[in-house]
Amino acid sequence: MSSRKQPKGKIRPPKKPNSADAQFNDNWDRLAQAIREIHKKNASILSFEELYRNAYNMVLHKNGDKLYNGVREVITQHLEEVAVSQVVPAFPLSGASSSQTNPNGAGGANFLKVLKTVWEDHTTCMLMIRDILMYMDRVYAKTANVPLVYDLGLDLFRDTIVRSQNYPIQNHLLEVLLQQIKLERENEIIDRTNVKASIDMLLELTDASTKDTVYATDFENKFLETSSEYYRVEGQMLVGEYDAPEYMKKVDKRLNEEEQRVRHYLSQTTEPKIRNIVEEELISKHLKTVIEMENSGLIPMLRNEKMDDLGRMYKLFGRVVKGHDEMKSAISDYIRELGKAINETVTSNTTAEGGNAASGDKQTGATVAVRWVQEVLDLKDKFDKVQNLALSNDKAFQTSFNEAFEYFINKNSKSPEFISLFIDDNLKKGLKGKTEEEVDSVLDKTITLFRFIGEKDVFERYYKQHLAKRLLLGRSVSDDAERGMIGKLKVECGYQFTTKLEGMFNDMRISSDTMTDFKEYLDKSVLEKPKLDLSVTVLTSTFWPMNLSASPRCNLPPELTKACGTFQNFYLGRHSGRRLTWQSNMGTADIRGSFKARKHELNVSTYQMVILLMFNDKQDGESLSYEQIKGESDIPEADLKRNLQSLACAKYKILVKEPKGKEINPGDQFNFNNDFTAPLQRIKIQTVASKVESEGERKETREKVEEARKHQTEAAIVRIMKDRKTMEHNLLIAEVVKQLQSRFMPNPALIKKRIEALIEREYLERATGDRRVYNYLA
Amino acid sequence: HLNLSKDLSLLLDYPDDYNVIIQVGENQNTKEFRTHSVILRARSSYFKSALSSNWIRKKDNMIIFSKPDLTPTCFDMILRYIYTGEFDLTKQSGENILDLLVASDELLFEELFRHVQDY
Repeated sequence: MSSRKQPKGKIRPPKKPNSADAQFNDNWDRLAQAIREIHKKNASILSFEELYRNAYNMVLHKNGDKLYNGVREVITQHLEEVAVSQVVPAFPLSGASSSQTNPNGAGGANFLKVLKTVWEDHTTCMLMIRDILMYMDRVYAKTANVPLVYDLGLDLFRDTIVRSQNYPIQNHLLEVLLQQIKLERENEIIDRTNVKASIDMLLELTDASTKDTVYATDFENKFLETSSEYYRVEGQMLVGEYDAPEYMKKVDKRLNEEEQRVRHYLSQTTEPKIRNIVEEELISKHLKTVIEMENSGLIPMLRNEKMDDLGRMYKLFGRVVKGHDEMKSAISDYIRELGKAINETVTSNTTAEGGNAASGDKQTGATVAVRWVQEVLDLKDKFDKVQNLALSNDKAFQTSFNEAFEYFINKNSKSPEFISLFIDDNLKKGLKGKTEEEVDSVLDKTITLFRFIGEKDVFERYYKQHLAKRLLLGRSVSDDAERGMIGKLKVECGYQFTTKLEGMFNDMRISSDTMTDFKEYLDKSVLEKPKLDLSVTVLTSTFWPMNLSASPRCNLPPELTKACGTFQNFYLGRHSGRRLTWQSNMGTADIRGSFKARKHELNVSTYQMVILLMFNDKQDGESLSYEQIKGESDIPEADLKRNLQSLACAKYKILVKEPKGKEINPGDQFNFNNDFTAPLQRIKIQTVASKVESEGERKETREKVEEARKHQTEAAIVRIMKDRKTMEHNLLIAEVVKQLQSRFMPNPALIKKRIEALIEREYLERATGDRRVYNYLA
Repeated sequence: HLNLSKDLSLLLDYPDDYNVIIQVGENQNTKEFRTHSVILRARSSYFKSALSSNWIRKKDNMIIFSKPDLTPTCFDMILRYIYTGEFDLTKQSGENILDLLVASDELLFEELFRHVQDY
């Protein structure tokens, strides 16, 4: 190209110039001089118009390449001078070791400051040079396919200053930048402006081969490596020195600082990279250690309800892959552990109770149930709060907590009974102390526990029993609350689950109508009126949980038998084809008792009435023996004992027992307690209505449940086979499980047995070719 | 747009609030144009640089710029093009048109250059 180019600085007077050469020399001389003046910040003496016209003329006369190369040389020469005269003298003392000897990094800061000035001067000059060489950029650079002059300036700056071959500027620059950042990490105040200027400079320069910024190629990796090492060391130091909350605060602070740092003086592209490094070194690597820190880790935070710390951990650990999983499993384990403890207190209580099971303190059983549910609810509340306040209601955590609750709740085989008892307790007397809203919210919470129960059919059985007692004994304080609860269960399990419960309610309502009609019937009738007010509740036997098919033995007083007969005639007259059985074990009676002090109205069970009426015929002080009462009343033994207990051993002692004691034994003698006094006129003799079942009863319930399951399983099999006609064994099992699991978890062995039973009864057959396939027989 | 170019053309004929005086031509054939730096800079990269704070010279608070290598006629056409986006070559002599072609190349009015070239 232009090997004949003029030596810089001066132009020799043309030896024998032709006019074009002379023109060129003249133009170039002016321009070169002008660029030098610009470098010297003397631009005010220059004329834009002239210089522009000079460059224009050179390009116009095909001297664009000479102009371009000339400019390159002038700028290079200038930058070489700048390197020697400004940059090199500003090198911080003794290079690498300076960070030790010069703790404030003042030398480094000064170096950056000088570089900042040099860079600013360069860019300012280049802008002016670009102005006057605009025509060259537009016309020459485009056709010659060379960088625009400003970009040429950047490349020259990169190669002459930043990556100088002659002076270790690059080393110093990177070292100083990293050192400044390190100082800042160690809480020194640094001059961010200078650092930012250098970073911006590196960002503006492009690496020729990678086309990436010099920031990316020269600086970023080194920065990330140093940071990685820095935080690796810091992580180890911090876990050793701080407890979990403090550790997390430090990490939080670090993450924050790094983010700020990037925002203030690094490139946004570095943000995710440095974040990953801090997360990896300070979070991932110490996850377990922090979670398990004694006295301050995750479990202690939960125990002490440190919501802020928990929230911080959630946010912090959520940044890394395994973080939330580790937290989840640790919390779940903890829930299981707490649940196990709750279950254990119950077992230890019931065994303690079992030790003096004969004590007859039946209330304890229900109390245990209520306490168990309350404790589980409290636990649930606690973790709901954690979930809400610290875990941003994270669904994944919720699921894992639910699994943990489900696990330990189902570990307690009595949980369906307990939950039903708890509801019973709230619907019965809970209303007294609580508003309806409060009861409603307790019941809502109870429903969440109900969801965890695997054996919903068992719950249903207990619920029916408890509901029946509430309805029949008039213990249910609010009909609305009862219906509300059934409504909730319906939402959970569908109408099948609750039809029978609703049927029970209907029986109650229809019975009350029936009684109104019965009274009218009596008024109009010519029959002799019964000597007592009879109130009858007619129950549909299939809705109610107890066996209503036969009347239990009991010798009722003649007036009552007669009244019953009258009702029976009335009822069967209206509903032919029905059969009534009298459940004397479930009735109550209001009777008047005359004592020495005053008369009292006694609300007692039918059995108790039968027992008390026996004393009507007796003289004062005349006693009846247990055997006499038993023989005359014909009340089943267990019921008799319980009712005698209520009369003689409980709060109101209508009868006096000899010998005294809490238990009823054969040979005991009973006397009417004429000396009985009580402040109230009306007295309700409590018979224990609900209680935790005894082992025998439990076995019975269990058997009933098993029996019901057999039926349900068979029904499901038939339903499915009727639809599919033919099906493979495993698929059938899977389908049956799917249909039944909302009520209970059927085990495959049970299903298999039912299939065999159905084959025997010729609902199904095995396919002739494949014994694993069943056919439905219509 | 008719009004716009007309109004801007008036701004050139009866300069108001001008801040740049451009001296054009050499020897006898010179003329001073009163113009507005905002308009010039907005319409032309040449003037954007020429009138940037790095390069301007002021006298009595006026920016003084001289362009000796153009004729007033030629520069007038250029200015009108700058202000209105329009130019009329029909009444111009061939010499003037040639001047305009060269000037629009020097001052990097690419659109104008193409139009004149086509003409």
